[in-house]
Amino acid sequence: MNSTFAAAAAEDAPRQAAPSARIGTANTLLMLVRRELWEHRALWVAPLVVAALMVLGAIVASLKFHLTHSDMSRDEGPEGMAMFAVMQSAVSMPLSLVTLIVVGFYLLDCLYTERKDRSILFWKSLPVSDDLTVLSKLLVALVVVPVGVFALGLLLSLLFVGIWQVDAALGRVPAIPGWDMLGWLKAEIALLLCLMLGVLWYAPFAAYLLVVSAWARRNPFLWSTLPPLLAPIIERVSFGTHFLGDFLRYRMFGIWGTLFSHMHIGRGRASALSSGFSQLNVRAAISDIDLWLGLAVTAALVFAAIRIRRYRDDS
Amino acid sequence: MTAVIEARGLAKSYGASRALDGVSFSVESGRILGLIGPNGAGKTTALKAILGLTAFSGELRVLGLDPRTQRDALMREVCFMADVAVLPRWLRVSQALDFVSGVHPRFDRSRAADFLRTTDIRMASRVRELSKGMVTQLHLALILAIDARLLVLDEPTLGLDLLYRRKFYDTLLNDYFDKERTILLTTHQVEEVENLFTDVIFINHGRLALSASVEDLGNRYQQLTLAAEQAPRARALKPFYEREVFGRVAMLFEGRSAAELGGLGELRTPSIADLFVAKMQRTPST
Repeated sequence: MNSTFAAAAAEDAPRQAAPSARIGTANTLLMLVRRELWEHRALWVAPLVVAALMVLGAIVASLKFHLTHSDMSRDEGPEGMAMFAVMQSAVSMPLSLVTLIVVGFYLLDCLYTERKDRSILFWKSLPVSDDLTVLSKLLVALVVVPVGVFALGLLLSLLFVGIWQVDAALGRVPAIPGWDMLGWLKAEIALLLCLMLGVLWYAPFAAYLLVVSAWARRNPFLWSTLPPLLAPIIERVSFGTHFLGDFLRYRMFGIWGTLFSHMHIGRGRASALSSGFSQLNVRAAISDIDLWLGLAVTAALVFAAIRIRRYRDDS
Repeated sequence: MTAVIEARGLAKSYGASRALDGVSFSVESGRILGLIGPNGAGKTTALKAILGLTAFSGELRVLGLDPRTQRDALMREVCFMADVAVLPRWLRVSQALDFVSGVHPRFDRSRAADFLRTTDIRMASRVRELSKGMVTQLHLALILAIDARLLVLDEPTLGLDLLYRRKFYDTLLNDYFDKERTILLTTHQVEEVENLFTDVIFINHGRLALSASVEDLGNRYQQLTLAAEQAPRARALKPFYEREVFGRVAMLFEGRSAAELGGLGELRTPSIADLFVAKMQRTPST
């Protein structure tokens, strides 16, 4: 008798306790981010594949080609670390490009597919707000994946230096001059700053893709690409002006002009780039009014995407 | 008794067509309400309004909350299952458990896992690899493990074979339902689940055709089966529906006593399915 009573009481207990049980916003957000990486595996598989191919390429290259001292200008000794930074930015190029493409398609897909396969009804049956859901997607696109890819690039460049050092030890290539911790850190910070500014500058594009993804009834890719492609053409044909085209071009590359406005590319090769890293005009870039206007537009667009997801009713 | 759902004058139009046209009803705690109506009658729209998935006009309180403005709070207490197709196909079974336990404070993961062990579903499977019946079982496992006060099911067993359907409702009744919970269910297969309901609402063209508890139905409605030659006498008592089967006539009456009808033929309480057909087919003139 007693035991059944206890069992019944135990059964009741969780229900009484349940109303007070809560899951913190941070934990929910973390879960939502994990969910995105489960569904959109391309977000991490594609950069890893590119990285693997590059490592493979580097190994093959180190086995096949020999560099002699005369192939490299080694006269600028202290710039050894610069070479490292250059190497990393070179490594980052294909990685960034692939990431850009993958993230773009991710943003277009993330609020569209859930409506198409009606799984939105499952997600909406759980106590997760539309705000948090949409924010998690933006977080994945603008923070999680870029930071992850940055770390991958860092790892890759270390690996490349390692390969180089092995080759150097074998006497196949000239050795890299001494390790300069400070220089290395500076270069890393500069690269991170570039990444951060890039994320902030391109955030409006990400938010625009989210809106299209939440709104398009079909074919979000066309809905996202045709307006910015056609509008400048239509403007030119009908008014003979090119404000839109100029504006879009500016939104594409504008921040880099500001960021590198102090840089003098003259002496060529590694040294110029490395000194360039310390010459980044971060202050001008971060205080650029257009950067902040873009972020205001981003906030408005994200708000729109949240509202569309919340009130849309076609599933 | 507090009402779990309190609806007054719910209305919703899609363009010119009125999906809901001034619907009012209330559901109390510990009931199993069947929302029954033909396709396009407004069932799903009503459910969507209750779940805060669509805009509407009128007054609606679900667990004391307004689904339009307090949806996030509401979803901590309400669980719903749209139909079998909505679990995302890429999701793994283990991920489904991880995710729900990661976002739902009232989810008991071990309970869901226990139920899954009674099925053929493996933790590593993806939804796309499961049969339709298994996907429903997976969804049911998640729902059983969520301690919600209101469960809304919209055609949960659509397209499943009889074995899965029977097991689904048995599990729901035996392992889930209790006095503190309320279930709201829409289905086409009325015959199979009519023993489940404590209350029914018939809805047609966006309006309520009937709203009653099952106990009330027995008092309000009578079904009389009699030989065809006796029919004229019974017709004098104004049945609202009649149907001829194998030379015998079945008539449905509203508000007649057993004393009035008893001598004429075989008397019983109509099934919900029969009542539904009668209410839906009744011509406006009668």
